[in-house]
Amino acid sequence: MRYGMVVDLKRCVGCQACTVACKSENGNGPGIMYTKVLDQVSGEYPNVRKQFVPVLCNHCKNAPCQRVCPTGATYKREDGLVLVDHDKCMGCRACYVACPYNNRIFLKRGKTKSGYYGKEMTPYEKVKYAEHQDGIVEKCKFCAHRIDEGITETSCSQTCPADARIFGDLDDPESKVSRLIRSRGGRQPLCEDDTDPSVYYLD
Amino acid sequence: MKQNEMVAQKDYWAKSACKMCIHTCAIRAHVVDGVVVKIEGDPDNPGNRGKLCPKGQSGINRLYDPHRVKTPLKRTNPEKGVGVDPMWVPISWEEALSTTAEKLKAIREDDPRKLLVSINDFHRIHIWGWGAAFGSPHYFSTVGQYCGAAYHPTNGILDGAFAAINDYDHCKYWIQIGAGDGFSAHLHLASSIKRMADARVNRGMKLVVVEPRMSAGAAKADEWIATRPGTDRAFVLGMVYTMLYELNVYDAWFMRKHTNGIHLIQKDGNMLRNPENNKAMVWDTATGQARDSDAEMDIQDMALEGSYQVNGVECRPAFQVIKDSLADHTPERMSEICSVSAATIRRIAKEYSDAASIGSDITLDGKEYPYRPAAVNYYRGAIGHVDGGLDALAMKLVNLIVGNIDVPGGHLGVGLNHQQLIIEEGQDGMMKPQPHLLHPPGAFITKPDSFQMIEWYPIGIDPGHLCAANIMDPDHFGYDYQPEALIIEHSNPMWNLSQTPKVKEVFKKLKFIVAIDIVLNESSDWADIILPDLSYLESDLLICIESPMVTGYFYRRPVIKPLYDSRDATDILSDLAERIGFLPNWNGLLNHTCFLAPEYHLEPDKVYSNLELTDRMAKSIYGPDQGLEWFQEHGHATRLLRPDELYMSAAQKGLRIPIYFNFIKEVGEDLDKKMKAAGREWDTSSYLPVPIWRDSHPLHNVDPEYDMYAFAFKEAQSNFSESTTMPWIEEVISCQPIHLGVMINGKTAKAKGIKTGDVLKIESPFGVVEGLARVTEEVHPECIAISNTISRWSRHPVGKRKINTHFNQLLPADVKWTDGMTGHLETATRVKLTVIA
Amino acid sequence: MGRAIPLVEKEFVSGFRQQTEWAWLIASAFFFGKVGSGLFIMSVVLDSRLGMLVGLLIVLVGKGGAHFLYLGRPWRFWRGMARPNSAWIARGIWAMSFMMAAGFLLLLLPMSSALYMPLAVFASICAFVVAVYDGFLLTSSPAIPIWNSALMPVLCMFYSFLGGTTMVLFMKHMGFMQLDEKFAAFLPTLEIGLLVANLLIVLMFLMGSINTGSAGRESFDLLVKGPYALPFFSLAIGVGLVFTLLMSVFGGAHAGAGTVALITVADLVGHFFIFFLLLKIGVFKPVLGFLKI
Ligand SMILES: Nc1nc2c(c(=O)[nH]1)N[C@H]1C(S)=C(S)[C@@H](COP(=O)(O)OP(=O)(O)OC[C@H]3O[C@@H](n4cnc5c(=O)[nH]c(N)nc54)[C@H](O)[C@@H]3O)O[C@H]1N2
Ligand SMILES: Nc1nc2c(c(=O)[nH]1)N[C@H]1C(S)=C(S)[C@@H](COP(=O)(O)OP(=O)(O)OC[C@H]3O[C@@H](n4cnc5c(=O)[nH]c(N)nc54)[C@H](O)[C@@H]3O)O[C@H]1N2
Ligand code: SF4
Ligand code: SF4
Ligand code: SF4
Ligand code: SF4
Ligand code: SF4
Ligand SMILES: [Mo]
Repeated sequence: MRYGMVVDLKRCVGCQACTVACKSENGNGPGIMYTKVLDQVSGEYPNVRKQFVPVLCNHCKNAPCQRVCPTGATYKREDGLVLVDHDKCMGCRACYVACPYNNRIFLKRGKTKSGYYGKEMTPYEKVKYAEHQDGIVEKCKFCAHRIDEGITETSCSQTCPADARIFGDLDDPESKVSRLIRSRGGRQPLCEDDTDPSVYYLD
Repeated sequence: MKQNEMVAQKDYWAKSACKMCIHTCAIRAHVVDGVVVKIEGDPDNPGNRGKLCPKGQSGINRLYDPHRVKTPLKRTNPEKGVGVDPMWVPISWEEALSTTAEKLKAIREDDPRKLLVSINDFHRIHIWGWGAAFGSPHYFSTVGQYCGAAYHPTNGILDGAFAAINDYDHCKYWIQIGAGDGFSAHLHLASSIKRMADARVNRGMKLVVVEPRMSAGAAKADEWIATRPGTDRAFVLGMVYTMLYELNVYDAWFMRKHTNGIHLIQKDGNMLRNPENNKAMVWDTATGQARDSDAEMDIQDMALEGSYQVNGVECRPAFQVIKDSLADHTPERMSEICSVSAATIRRIAKEYSDAASIGSDITLDGKEYPYRPAAVNYYRGAIGHVDGGLDALAMKLVNLIVGNIDVPGGHLGVGLNHQQLIIEEGQDGMMKPQPHLLHPPGAFITKPDSFQMIEWYPIGIDPGHLCAANIMDPDHFGYDYQPEALIIEHSNPMWNLSQTPKVKEVFKKLKFIVAIDIVLNESSDWADIILPDLSYLESDLLICIESPMVTGYFYRRPVIKPLYDSRDATDILSDLAERIGFLPNWNGLLNHTCFLAPEYHLEPDKVYSNLELTDRMAKSIYGPDQGLEWFQEHGHATRLLRPDELYMSAAQKGLRIPIYFNFIKEVGEDLDKKMKAAGREWDTSSYLPVPIWRDSHPLHNVDPEYDMYAFAFKEAQSNFSESTTMPWIEEVISCQPIHLGVMINGKTAKAKGIKTGDVLKIESPFGVVEGLARVTEEVHPECIAISNTISRWSRHPVGKRKINTHFNQLLPADVKWTDGMTGHLETATRVKLTVIA
Repeated sequence: MGRAIPLVEKEFVSGFRQQTEWAWLIASAFFFGKVGSGLFIMSVVLDSRLGMLVGLLIVLVGKGGAHFLYLGRPWRFWRGMARPNSAWIARGIWAMSFMMAAGFLLLLLPMSSALYMPLAVFASICAFVVAVYDGFLLTSSPAIPIWNSALMPVLCMFYSFLGGTTMVLFMKHMGFMQLDEKFAAFLPTLEIGLLVANLLIVLMFLMGSINTGSAGRESFDLLVKGPYALPFFSLAIGVGLVFTLLMSVFGGAHAGAGTVALITVADLVGHFFIFFLLLKIGVFKPVLGFLKI
């Protein structure tokens, strides 16, 4: 079992529904985005090419973030998820500089104490921010809490109107992700770093 | 589950409907301990199939916005103005309603026309007529005119439809002109992105996007073609010329069988009619004579081309007239106008007509249909201009030529509501034109009564943008009264109307403004009384708006108990109607707008709650067993449209559709006659039966010192601009380059010495704004493009950028700059730029 | 269009991104760690108890304090010792702890003690690890190519020696340290030698970084042409190495306490800034390198 995601760059329309769905699902406060969709523009008018590139934690098989973590807060699960134990992390940010994908986010002190409208939090913020700690590093968790509840679809892939984010088991050759990677030639980001990411891109 | 049972649970998912844009995706909200913690798409719905766009995802922000209006409010600062704090104080509903009713009652007794009305709630179309029931003819806002005034009537005339879309499931060559369908905006975005992606990736559909800006769609397209704003008709007519004169491809069978292309037209453009029975006539090549159009004839023998003499009258088949009218629309000439090379126009015309595979058929659900998998789809960008009616006709024409209207793979009508397409028999075996699906046309009068002059736009949809000019200069068209009050519901005229400086003057003039709103905006900042509406997650409604591929009602249900002391807008308006004293009119209107069957008609003098109304509406449409309770138990009543509902609606009833728009010409001539009789000067020259290019377009005849074009756009993240008050949206867009400033092309910027981050003075002949320059390759070199998301100045604390650029300040808003045929306002303008910092 | 791949901050644009988390506190920790352990090792060699004490305190208070202040959850610092098998930070904390334990114990022991020599060696090795582990920490990170250089630990080592030497010189001239004459005479030469060596290593490091791929090149450009060029050339190189070198050669350690103090300050400024700037110019690679930009 190794959970992974296929991002179909042909399908993605850059709508950022995933970005917002992730914030909503995880109760991420101001500035915290586990995923986002980047513009990649090349060429000169009128020969311009524009791609939308969703990025998120790749849940690398050889995760540098895990290797450098001195506390063991960053750990790897049997199912391939790379997660951070909030109670163990001391906020040294070694993982931040070690992640080649720049996917780790440090929550400054006080970050979980105020919401988008300041100290007075909305009912939603009150409930959801309680799931976070400040002074630690966070990142996309492949919606581990959903998986643990038996929902094997992440919030971002669930909402993606283009079906550009497909979640599934990379170890199962018959899963949709495996089939897509085979048929469309999925590529891992920065594979030269030997991190063996669990996110594949189809272009 | 009953409402009170549902909300009593500790942890539940409640199904409802999104309202973060004009459309309605099915949602489900996760509620834990009374708090909405997540909104997802309803996975069971055939429309959006579990998907939501970012605005839909952000609904939680709207619900829990601490700046929501929580109680009725009264202004205590008599001074009004931009940025002026109204110093709201909470008041009771009784005080708010009685004060409002008292003011409006006095006005109604004096002259009901002194009330301006701005009700834009697209989900509650049934309340749009509240002003009319009050006795006011005005519409002081814009929905349709900024986007669809030139679009909806032509769909109504051609398909009995309100909107239109290409066939997501079968199209193979999709040309998209000035529209965000499937990528960024327009019909049911969250559903359409998926359908479009499936078509592109699974079926390999080829996509060509025609836009002065690299929209999301253009980014995904196989080809992006950049036009000058307001010239798409030229591009399309160049295609039509190529097809008719160079490639010689057109669907003759379709034209003979299903259109009026065979009807004989006289030299003056009017129909040739049999003097004996007034029937339209066609030329029978078998017998060499003109016959009644309903005469038995072999379809092959109906002449499409040629010139004939009938009883000494020279006439040609309508198709020939179309062809002749376009004889000088060569790609070379069109290229000069739209800035797309003639070679590209020709190539696209060729690819398009090849892909249309004229003559082929497809069998769906056991039934054979013509199969034309190539179509042109378009919306606001393409037709939001002076001569927009002709733009729309041109877009229709290029579809008609390949015979793709309402057939698999082609261009399909989309209904306004559950009624879907309205196909009725009209004259000459034709489908009856339905240009007015929202409300009946304003009857002609010699002096316009409404400030938006709807009486003089017999095909159009209320050109609300004309109000301000007419209010500020009443003598010009002879208004002998002045407005005193304004009622606003789900609308932001101060933001959405063009030529904002004039709109501001109107606001200044008004003695009393009441707004039904949930978060204050640029307009309600000027109100005297605010009445808080329920948010969509707290209210009941049956809705079905322009949903492509799907039909039936979505059920918006309260997913939690209302958070504040708010009331449903429908209830507020009913209460006001009673207090002011026109409840019978109001109830009478609701009978109609809620589709109430006679047995459910409202008693004239009783106030009905929104719940009661919803129940009656449900039962009227679905039968006595399917009232509100059914919807509470089962949720939405939506389903996919069947092929026989999607395709060939007019043909199934044996009716022809127009390719020659004599209806429009006739309406124009009628208007012209009436205007002349009234001694009015009025330009009816755009009521043409065949779309042609007209050099008179004011946009292209501006003083050359205004050397750039300017236009505004939406993207998936934005709804107009209101969504910028949602922190999740604001956070995302403040990281996206296209929303970070006024887009200007790299070469142009260089020539003008403009760099990203420069503060620009942007001046049109009609107004001035400032903006931050954003140099990019993603826009036509002659244009600046302005995202709606950088245009706010309301007092709401979220979404305030360093410099906001309110595009509408730059737009004109008068008769000259309004499409004569449809009343569409001009949505592009010309500007000059100066770097000021 | 100028540069094809942009350097981006918070904008949603694919391109190079600068690391933003490790900045002046981490630079301070690196700085104090190296100066302190350098001084400690030199003092062990020179048998200066005061020097050892000062070295230990610089590491404990300066480095330890900076790290402590930096941590998001400071009181969980002890958790950082959990994974020395893979994490350089854990190794660093262990090394620092051993250095402290051994170092302070050493101060308590008489020179004559049989334990003294082994303990001194052990403490010095720990101090050496403290001085260079952050070099390995940076090298082992694949994410930021300019850090990913084998010269990083060497750079750390030489700066540590330089810092230690400067500090010894300073303490001697201030009269805090009595030194063996032989050593005292050798010190200025050592200082000059180390300054020259550091200059060379910085140069080699920079030359090497040109070839660390596009992101490394971006870092390099930031340092020598971009916004960091001014502090780099003026403070890290100018003040820290060239000025000190000139002062040492022409004024030299004989010119009196004032000059030595100036050299010391200049050296420390340069030392701090070189690591501060090397952190600042850390640039990640664009994520989807294979998508042609
Ligand atoms: N520059 C520019 N101008 C445009 C456009 C553009 O693209 N660019 N688009 C044009 C088009 S196509 C249209 S349709 C119009 C739309 O113009 P509007 O209909 O005015 O736009 P909205 O922002 O949807 O709604 C107006 C206000 O409704 C209030 N509101 C939101 N939710 C609720 C609710 O649940 N109940 C009540 N009572 N009020 C609510 C909010 O205060 C909001 O500001 O704008 C037009 N104007
Ligand atoms: N995301 C989102 N979806 C929505 C809405 C929303 O607010 N947000 N609102 C709904 C409403 S009311 C409407 S009216 C529709 C609007 O739906 P669309 O018409 O699809 O959206 P717009 O962005 O207003 O305009 C379409 C495009 O026209 C381009 N354009 C401007 N001028 C020209 C021109 O002269 N020629 C051409 N070819 N293109 C031009 C703009 O760059 C823009 O990309 O969307 C509906 N759906
Ligand atoms: S939701 Fe899907 S289509 Fe939209 S930006 Fe994210 S990945 Fe792309
Ligand atoms: S992408 Fe970064 S954070 Fe995620 S597992 Fe890989 S190295 Fe760790
Ligand atoms: S910040 Fe937390 S997760 Fe990251 S390396 Fe340090 S302890 Fe581990
Ligand atoms: S998988 Fe879950 S946590 Fe990760 S980006 Fe998607 S929604 Fe966010
Ligand atoms: S498209 Fe409109 S209705 Fe659908 S999720 Fe987005 S905002 Fe809501
Ligand atoms: Mo609209």
